[in-house]
Amino acid sequence: MLNHILSAFRTYMHGDGAVLLPEMQLLLFAIGTLAMDSWAANTSSETSRGNDGTNKVFHQKYWNPAVALAGVAFSALTVWMLRGRIIQSGDLSGFHLTLVIDSYFIFFSALLLVATVLVILLSVNCSGISPARQGRYYALLLFACMSMMLMVSAVDLLVIFLVVEAASISVYFLAAMPGVTNRSPSAAVRFLLSSAFGSALVAYAFSLLYGLSGATNISQVAEALVRRHNVAKVIALSHQGGSHGLQMLQLLQSRLPEAVHWHTFTLEALPIAAFTLLSVGVILKFAVPPFQAEYSRASTERDFGISSPVILYLSGAYAIAVVALLLRSMFTIFADSQNIWWTIIAALAIGGISYGILASLRHTNLERIVIYLSLTHMGYVLLGVVAANEAAATAMTYYLFTYLFVMTGMFGVLIAARGQNASAGVLNDLSGLRRRSPVTALLLIIFVLALAGAPLTAGFFGRYFIFHSLLETGHRHIAWFVALSSLPLAYSYLRIAVYAWRGNRPETESGPVTFGISEAIVLGICIFVSLAAGLYSEPFTRMARYAFGQ
Amino acid sequence: MLPLTHYLFLSFALFLIGLTGVLTRRNLIIKLFSVEIILNATSINFVAFARLYGDAMGQVFAIITVVLLALEVLVALAIIAAVCSRWKCAPANDDKDLSSQLDY
Repeated sequence: MLNHILSAFRTYMHGDGAVLLPEMQLLLFAIGTLAMDSWAANTSSETSRGNDGTNKVFHQKYWNPAVALAGVAFSALTVWMLRGRIIQSGDLSGFHLTLVIDSYFIFFSALLLVATVLVILLSVNCSGISPARQGRYYALLLFACMSMMLMVSAVDLLVIFLVVEAASISVYFLAAMPGVTNRSPSAAVRFLLSSAFGSALVAYAFSLLYGLSGATNISQVAEALVRRHNVAKVIALSHQGGSHGLQMLQLLQSRLPEAVHWHTFTLEALPIAAFTLLSVGVILKFAVPPFQAEYSRASTERDFGISSPVILYLSGAYAIAVVALLLRSMFTIFADSQNIWWTIIAALAIGGISYGILASLRHTNLERIVIYLSLTHMGYVLLGVVAANEAAATAMTYYLFTYLFVMTGMFGVLIAARGQNASAGVLNDLSGLRRRSPVTALLLIIFVLALAGAPLTAGFFGRYFIFHSLLETGHRHIAWFVALSSLPLAYSYLRIAVYAWRGNRPETESGPVTFGISEAIVLGICIFVSLAAGLYSEPFTRMARYAFGQ
Repeated sequence: MLPLTHYLFLSFALFLIGLTGVLTRRNLIIKLFSVEIILNATSINFVAFARLYGDAMGQVFAIITVVLLALEVLVALAIIAAVCSRWKCAPANDDKDLSSQLDY
């Protein structure tokens, strides 16, 4: 009996189970974190009369992140093993072709796991998360990471919709955790509403796609869309009259009799409508933090509403997962009509870039500036879709990769700077930072330069590759827009650097900024990537090329 | 048997109603309901297409949409309840009702 179960389990793990293994490990560790947390809470309430309460809190503070990190490490190991397996025997797929393991999945899931590790490390010393909620916090991070990994491996409309919702729900709860300022829930409700609106639009787009194709697998949907397009051409010809038109009409009547009364306009317009709804819905999902920053004008300029590591997770990992999903669906479902829809994406991206830059100039809250500009960066990534050649694919993945590390480094410095004295919320708090702690100021300036896209840093090549691929494919005006919009973007970022550099305000209450060991690790990794990718970009571009199987 | 277009027009009308609600209303609850109306329009689309193709996938999609709809309402209401307890809004003797407190 036991042998039977074991062999069934083994067959499962070699078939469908292997496809889901990294996510399953994350899920197990997340549940483990939750269970351990409730167990620790029970035992500590029993012995609460004793005076070893601080010791317990200390243990809890390091146990939870350690378990979460172990989960991510196991998952990363599995992803690495899967990489070896797909090199040997080609792409894996499971669960009736709804999930695939290809190089795209390997690249983006590794990126998401790294992003989760960095956020976990930054959260250890963050004052915003109370010890009582720690287990839940790390479990939610793992749940979110799991759903985002599924998001990059799903190739079926139904599964995509399910995992997008799963990721969103984890992220709603993360955003609603009482954070640094205790104003989190109001910000979280707005985030939830806009994000739910986004997923409703995505669902409507999916229903249109299902109606057009009668299938839910995205490559089958793509084939069906091509077929529809051809039918529309034939119908248009049959309406022309003449002998050729009559021939087409007869062909239509014999092969597809119900199509005689179809309108070509509906056949051509519905895929475009579905595409627009899908891209607007998906963009709403990651553009939400900027919008909610806009809404929460009622709160003071000093607080943002959501605690910093969570904002980092939203505008880093979550945005990357959502963009990766959008790229996969655009390049699979709508690959054939790229010459039509690139205008929609170009308009959305240019709008996002301009809005991000203009809005960031009006604010002095550091986190808001960075959040608004994250919209700008995602706009540049989407402009790569306009070019849609091999160089552009490399450029987009390279951009997302470097952006994640530079952004995380930036947030690491801000979190460390605000850690001790809850300052560094607005630009003015930074003045005199060079005198107070030169290392922090230097790190901040390097990250700011990398985000602004200065030469010799990681940010430069990302935008240069996008620019170059746009020029290559003949989109000259958009390429020059990219080049020229870098100037106000650089101004917006350099403002932060200038504040950090100048000023010798006699600051009595705030001493030098100190880093915990976890923050030091994060900043070390981030500074390495943001300088190394700028000085010698070859290994990083090779990694980016791997994502699209080149 | 009604032709497919009737269902599609119904679902499109619901979609437009939901869209207008999300974009114009300021009340959190009404916005949430408008999002749910859009999801209902989606379900109608799926069921109609499932019958057109004689394919169970659309029905499954519709059921999953309903489940997710319920989940989303649950999460949203939990968070809204947390907001209300934090904002200390709508005490029992207040002449304003709860829904007006949820405007933003």
